[in-house]
Amino acid sequence: MKQRGWASFKRDTSFHIRTPKTVLKKVLVGLVLFSLGAFAAYLFPFLMSFSGVSGPWVHHPLFPILVMTAIFVSAYKSTEHWVKKFLEKYFFHKKTFAQMTLMDLANDLTVNLDIQEISNLVVNTFGEVLQLKTVALLVPDPLQNNFEITSAFGWTISASKKVRLAADTPLLKMIHQTGPHVLMRGPVLQRLSWQEANALARDFDSLQAAWISPLFVKGELAGLLAFGALVPDTVFDQGDFHFFREFAAAIAPCVQNAMVVKRLRQLNLELQDSQSQWIQKTKLNAIEKLAAGIAHEIHNPLAIISGKAQVLLMQRGPKQLEPNVQAALNAIVKQTHRAADITRKLLMYSQGSRGPQERISLEKVLEETLSLLAYQASTDKIEIVKNLDRELPPFFANMQEIREIFLNLLLNAVEAIGTEGKIVVELKYRRDEELIEIVCSDTGKGIPAEHLDKVFNPFYTTRHEAVGLGLFVTKQIVHRYGGSIRVESQAGVGSMFILHLPYAAEAVREKEQEKTGATVWI
Amino acid sequence: MSKLLIVDDEVEICEFLKSFFEDRDFEVASANGGAQALEKLATFHPEVVLLDIQMPGMDGLQILKRIKEIYPKMKVIMVTAVETQEKIEEAMRLGADNYITKPLSLEYLEKDVQDKINILAKGF
Repeated sequence: MKQRGWASFKRDTSFHIRTPKTVLKKVLVGLVLFSLGAFAAYLFPFLMSFSGVSGPWVHHPLFPILVMTAIFVSAYKSTEHWVKKFLEKYFFHKKTFAQMTLMDLANDLTVNLDIQEISNLVVNTFGEVLQLKTVALLVPDPLQNNFEITSAFGWTISASKKVRLAADTPLLKMIHQTGPHVLMRGPVLQRLSWQEANALARDFDSLQAAWISPLFVKGELAGLLAFGALVPDTVFDQGDFHFFREFAAAIAPCVQNAMVVKRLRQLNLELQDSQSQWIQKTKLNAIEKLAAGIAHEIHNPLAIISGKAQVLLMQRGPKQLEPNVQAALNAIVKQTHRAADITRKLLMYSQGSRGPQERISLEKVLEETLSLLAYQASTDKIEIVKNLDRELPPFFANMQEIREIFLNLLLNAVEAIGTEGKIVVELKYRRDEELIEIVCSDTGKGIPAEHLDKVFNPFYTTRHEAVGLGLFVTKQIVHRYGGSIRVESQAGVGSMFILHLPYAAEAVREKEQEKTGATVWI
Repeated sequence: MSKLLIVDDEVEICEFLKSFFEDRDFEVASANGGAQALEKLATFHPEVVLLDIQMPGMDGLQILKRIKEIYPKMKVIMVTAVETQEKIEEAMRLGADNYITKPLSLEYLEKDVQDKINILAKGF
């Protein structure tokens, strides 16, 4: 049969995975043939004499050799066949074992709905059982209209992550033409013009593949299995490729189902996400209304209390206030401002990022915030160390909010330290991950492990005088920018707050253009 | 003597501000609502107005607009209980000269009022 790139294989009940070309087989074939020949040569003179044919040539020494050669030639093929069968049946369970393992796997997969598990199982089992160089399972990514590797055997992780096969690549076009047949690199390329062959060879190379088995479900391409062998693919015979095709047909529906499940899970998550966002928004709206109302109603009486005390404190004329009265009035002024701070923070939290976003320098905002703390830090022997990335890009944000973040982190650190210690603030631009990292660590008293998950809760505080909104507000702001905040702490040693704010250079550039565009128009 | 008008719907706030500034040799008048404020503006001719943003009826922003229409040179300091960004931006756009939030720091307020009067004295 003429071998073609995708072979229309004859149905064969015995699939082969690698022919056992062993010395044993050859020795066995030789032995069988030799004994057959010797037996025949030994019997021939008797047969001749029985049949009445006789002469001196019957006893010639060349004669048995001739008979043996004739038997060798005529019986070689069939003997080899039977010896092979015999060996396979009684001695070489390996390939039947491989087949069985793989088919068992295909059956197991029908109850698995996790695409990652399925692909891990498929590529690893294939790779190990058949001792292949590479195996990769590719599945479609409907969002980007291409195929990506879900799992790979014999690949480095980074290499497998990079491979994306666009829907219009020659390989996928060809697969859509040829259907579920196994595509073998060598024979397929031979059939094509050199230009087409080059284009297709690139796809094979990018998948490190010697042959590719498409996974079709009802005419739809659900995935690809790309195999690369350590040895030339000629060690696999047509039966093997037929087996690959059967295997692909068996696992294709599993892969497709798992992909559907994955998509459903994703959609479900997105739904949950938008739902919780919506709830959060509604909550925020309610809190904002409440906070605005409270702020107005409370700030007026606070203004009166604090105002009257200040009038007395700042009174002109000869009359001096008694020291205890002065202290009381000062306390009144201070405490009214503290009370007003609560509602202000609540409002800030609920108003969200409605303030204007502008190009700011994180370094500058940090400087400003530090200058607010400088006095306290110097009286308390607190050393503040800045560790700034030299290539810190400008950031688009609401200045007030970023200042609030720094202020809360630093105030927290100062409070945790008490009278003596060190605060380290780090600003880093992580270009690869497209984010800005803010790390604020202190040598303070730390947070007990059982409280670590509570520090971001509203009204959580260990200080007698504090409100407990600082870190809560910080977290809200960070989340508003799509970032994250976490804390690591050890009681008695110190705490470290790590913030990640996403920074997309592209987006910033766009915003800047918008801004300049706007200025031109005005 | 410099003239100061205080507009706030809270009588007590007007009172303590009045006593504070009178103590510093200001001539002070107060109004508890929009209509009263406009009336005082016409008769009293203040140099600086302390204007509460949130008031029932005619609010601070509307009064500010009228003041800047009729007396463009008059200095107006907005007083607000809640720092709503939009209101403050709106006030600055309408020509307010500064804003201050409640509870007030009288030290800061005194300095600010004095600044405005100095600017007026220089003839700006």
